[in-house]
Amino acid sequence: MTIRRTVKIKSNYEIVAWKWMRYSAILLIPLVWVHVWIQDILVGPQHITLDYVEKRWSMVGWQIYDILLLSFAFAHGMNGLRQVIVDHIHSRRARMMFGWLIFLAWVVITFIGGLAIVGAAHRNLVGFN
Amino acid sequence: MLGSLRTSFTGYLTYRGGEGQVSFLLHRVTGLGLLFFLTIHIVDTALVYFAPHLYEHALELYRSTPFMLGEIGLVFCVLFHGLNGLRIAYYDLFTTAGGEIKRVRKSVWATFVITIILWTPVAGIMGYKLLYHNFGFFGGK
Repeated sequence: MTIRRTVKIKSNYEIVAWKWMRYSAILLIPLVWVHVWIQDILVGPQHITLDYVEKRWSMVGWQIYDILLLSFAFAHGMNGLRQVIVDHIHSRRARMMFGWLIFLAWVVITFIGGLAIVGAAHRNLVGFN
Repeated sequence: MLGSLRTSFTGYLTYRGGEGQVSFLLHRVTGLGLLFFLTIHIVDTALVYFAPHLYEHALELYRSTPFMLGEIGLVFCVLFHGLNGLRIAYYDLFTTAGGEIKRVRKSVWATFVITIILWTPVAGIMGYKLLYHNFGFFGGK
């Protein structure tokens, strides 16, 4: 006879981050692989131009695709960097400092990328040139 | 801080954990490499909106031989990191106690093999494009 015991563990930030890495990984496989397949193998850098990117971002479907790709891939990567740093740097102060630095870089770069995806299609509306 | 860094790096090199450790290290290195490229890639693609005239310069760089070689390596990182990540997610989320050690070892080898099988044709296609566009092979310019 087997006895099943379930233990409830109080969730914390590290548990959520651990799960996030695995669930986002499953989603990133189709997102990243399709992106690389189209842009690197079917199209290739020789045929990618300013016009090509602007045309792509004039389609809502590709805008959503790229926003998903940006947010999932970059958050996955930045949390991975945080994990590597926590493995190697043990002082509390240095960990705090790197944690904030990574968080800030994550927010700023995600914002820049997101603004470009949305803004390029509405250049006339937003008026940033 | 530097002391603990040195300890962990020498640990990486002297610890003999077999194929599991190789895949752990390769997962780290490819992950950090991908993040480095991704950061640059987000910023340079954002030029499309912030400074369209500079975007063409960024593209010139991507078409250069060293960058195209780097991109072939990049695809290796994408394939290995993705497949190995899927392997880790499978054992962590869908098996109890992380699976039997023999099976895990086999899955590590399977990951290496599938990575190479998928990467070879891709490297071939990208290598062909590099030779065609940058060196005039196969009737290219």
